[in-house]
Amino acid sequence: MSKVYVGMSGGVDSSLTAALLVEQGYDVTGVYMKNWTQDLPGMKCPWADDLADAKRVAVQLGIDFKVFDFETEYKQKVVNYMIDEYQKGRTPNPDIMCNQEVKFKLFLEAALDDGADYIATGHYASVENGQLKMAKDANKDQTYFLYRVTGDALTKTLFPLGGYTKPDVREMAKARGLYTADKKDSQGICFVGQIGIRDFLSQYVEQVPGDVIDRVSGKILGRHDGAIFYTLGQRHGLDIGGGLPYYVVGKDMAKNEVYVTTDLNDENLWKEEIRLSALHWINEAPAEGMYDIRVRHRSRLIRAGLVYDNDKLVLKLDDAERAVTPGQSVVIYDKEVCIGGGIVI
Amino acid sequence: MDERVITAMLPYFQVAFFNPSSPYAPAVAVRRAYEAAKESIARQIGGKADELVMTAGATESVNLAIHQAAGHVIVAATEHHSVLRAAQTKDHTILDVDEHGRVSLDHLRRAIRPDTELISIALANNEIGTIQPLRDIAAMIKEIRIERRAQGNSTRLLLHSDASQGVGQLDIHVARLGVDLLTLNAAKMYGPKQVGLLWASSQVVLRPLLAGGGQEHGVRSGTENVAGVIGFERALTLVSDRRESEVQRLETLKEAMRKELTAAFPDAVLSGHPKHQLAGHLHISFAHLDAERVLFALESRGVLVATGSACAANKGTRSHVLEAIGMSPEVADGSLRITFGHLSSSENTALASRAIIEEVKREYERMHR
Repeated sequence: MSKVYVGMSGGVDSSLTAALLVEQGYDVTGVYMKNWTQDLPGMKCPWADDLADAKRVAVQLGIDFKVFDFETEYKQKVVNYMIDEYQKGRTPNPDIMCNQEVKFKLFLEAALDDGADYIATGHYASVENGQLKMAKDANKDQTYFLYRVTGDALTKTLFPLGGYTKPDVREMAKARGLYTADKKDSQGICFVGQIGIRDFLSQYVEQVPGDVIDRVSGKILGRHDGAIFYTLGQRHGLDIGGGLPYYVVGKDMAKNEVYVTTDLNDENLWKEEIRLSALHWINEAPAEGMYDIRVRHRSRLIRAGLVYDNDKLVLKLDDAERAVTPGQSVVIYDKEVCIGGGIVI
Repeated sequence: MDERVITAMLPYFQVAFFNPSSPYAPAVAVRRAYEAAKESIARQIGGKADELVMTAGATESVNLAIHQAAGHVIVAATEHHSVLRAAQTKDHTILDVDEHGRVSLDHLRRAIRPDTELISIALANNEIGTIQPLRDIAAMIKEIRIERRAQGNSTRLLLHSDASQGVGQLDIHVARLGVDLLTLNAAKMYGPKQVGLLWASSQVVLRPLLAGGGQEHGVRSGTENVAGVIGFERALTLVSDRRESEVQRLETLKEAMRKELTAAFPDAVLSGHPKHQLAGHLHISFAHLDAERVLFALESRGVLVATGSACAANKGTRSHVLEAIGMSPEVADGSLRITFGHLSSSENTALASRAIIEEVKREYERMHR
C-alpha cells in the first residue's frame, strides 16, 4: 500500500483530499505545516484552531497525524522574499513562493524522509504523466500558483481534487460528515489573512510619506504614506479628494513618489508586450510560438506569441492587457497543460 | 446555567434595569434587591455583606486578594494561573506539592518568612480535584501569628483561598475554613460567567485595582452587575441546598466510571488524592497516548472531556499542575480530565465510560498497527 502524506490546513479542501485518499486505499498520514503563528495587529493568527481542525478530521478518518514545523524556513524563503520585493517597488506573489519553496520542496523532502511515497494537497489542479494540468473547475483552478513547482516534485504529488468543482467538494465533505465541511475558506495570503498587505508591511518597513504626482502634468496632487504600499492599477487608498478616480500608473522608489492619472487609457496601465525574467519550466522549455497565458490568478487566458531574448522571455499580445505588474507572475499554458512561466520585469 | 438562575436574573435586564446608585424609587428597589442578594451570599459563607466585594469573576478576586499584600507571598505550585501570575508581581515563593497535589504543612511552615504577608492556596484543584488541608493550614497560621506577636513581629499573616472549585461540594464557611480572604466564582456553580466575589475579613484592607466611582465600599468601582449578583445568589443557594446528596451522587458516578476504566486499562494512572478529592473529578492518564485525539473522537460522540495539555504542537503548554505532581510528559500528554455535574446520570456516565474505553482502545490499536 502506498504511503501518502497529505498537507492538511484545517480547511475543507485538504480535509476532503485526505478522505478521498483513504477511500482510494492509500495509507494516509495527515500533516499540518506550521508556517506562521504570529498574531498581527487587529488579527489573531488562527493557526492553533486550524491545527486543531486538521487533527479533528484526521481523527475522524482514523489516520496518523503529524506537525511539520517550517516556521523558520517560511520566514526566510517566503516572508523575507515578499518584503524584499515590495522594498524594490515590486508586487510579489508569496503564495507561489510558498508552493515552490515550502509545500513542494521542504514538505515533500520531509515527507519522503519520513517514509512517504507521495505527498498530496488540496490544490485544484491535476497531474498527468508528470505534467501539470488545469482543474476541472475553471473558476477554482490553482495552476497559476503552482507553475514554479518542478516536474520531479509533481511525479511524487497527488491532487485528488483536480476533477471536482468547489461545490462538489463542499457536498462531498458534507456527505462524509467531515468536521470542516462548512468551514469558511481562507482568503488571500494565508498569514496576512484579512488584515491586508498594507498593515502587514507596516510591521516591517518604516512608513515614509511622499508625494502623489499627476503623471501627465507633473503636479503634486497629495501625499501618500509610503510608495511601497502602492501597486500598479490600484485605485483605492489614494487620499485625493473629488472628481474622477485616480489610478496608480507608476512609482519611483528612490524618490518615494507615486504617479497617478485619471486617464483609464494611460499608456503605463496597458501593455502589448510583457517581459519576463526568472523563468521556470515544469518540464522542458517551450519552443517559440503561440501560447495561452494568464497574468493573474483566475484571470482569463489570453493568446500571446512567445519569443526568447537570452535568459528573458518576451510575450507579444494581440490586445493590450491592463496593469501587468512588475513582480507578479505570468503563467504559460499549452492547451490545458501548465508549462511554466516567469516574473514580470 | 441552571434555568432557575436565568429566571431570577431576567427581570434585572428588563423591567428592573435601573442603576442601583440612582435616586428614584425604582432604582432604590433595585439597590435593595442587590443588597439582599449580597446579604444572602454573605450568610451562606458565614460572613457579613459589607465584607464582600463583588467582582467580574475569580481572576479579578484573586488579583484583588494578592494586590493588597506589600510583603512576601506564598502560593502552591498547583494554583490557577491567576494566582501564580498575580504572585509573580510580588516577592513570592512557589510551594511544592506531593504526588497527590497536596501542600505539606512542614514545607509550608519552612517557607514562611518573618516578612511573609499572604499565603494563597486553593481549596480544591481544578484539574486533579485534590482538596487541600485548609483548616490545618489555618490552624498553623494562627500559631505563627502568636509566635510573631511574642517575637514583636507586627507583620500580619493572611490566608487566602480560591474556593471556586469547591462550591456545591465542600463546606465554604469562612470561619470554619479559617481563612481571611475567600474567592468564589458564579460560573463554577451553574451561575453566570464574569461574576465573582472576594470575601475579606474586616481586618483586611483591600487596595482597589480600578479607579472610579467608589462602588463596593470603594474597592471595586463600576456600576454594580445587578443581574449577575442576583444570579450568583440564586446559584449559590441552589447548590448549597442539595450539596450533601449531590456529593454522594457524584461520588457514585465517578466510582462507577473509575471501576470501568481501570478494569479496561489496568495500567492507567489515576491522579489526585485518593481520599481528599472532589466528588465530581476523575483524572486518568494513559501513557504514550495522544489525549487530544481521544478528546476529538469523544466530542463527536457527545462526550466532552478535557486533556492535560493544549495542542500537541503547542510545546510548553503542558499542564503545570501535572508537572507539579511529578508526572512525566508522556503520561501527562495522555491525560483526560473528566468531571461530573448536575447533568450527569448513571445512564450517561455508563455511555461515556463505554465511549472512552472504545476510543482509547482505538488509539492504542492505531499506534500499534
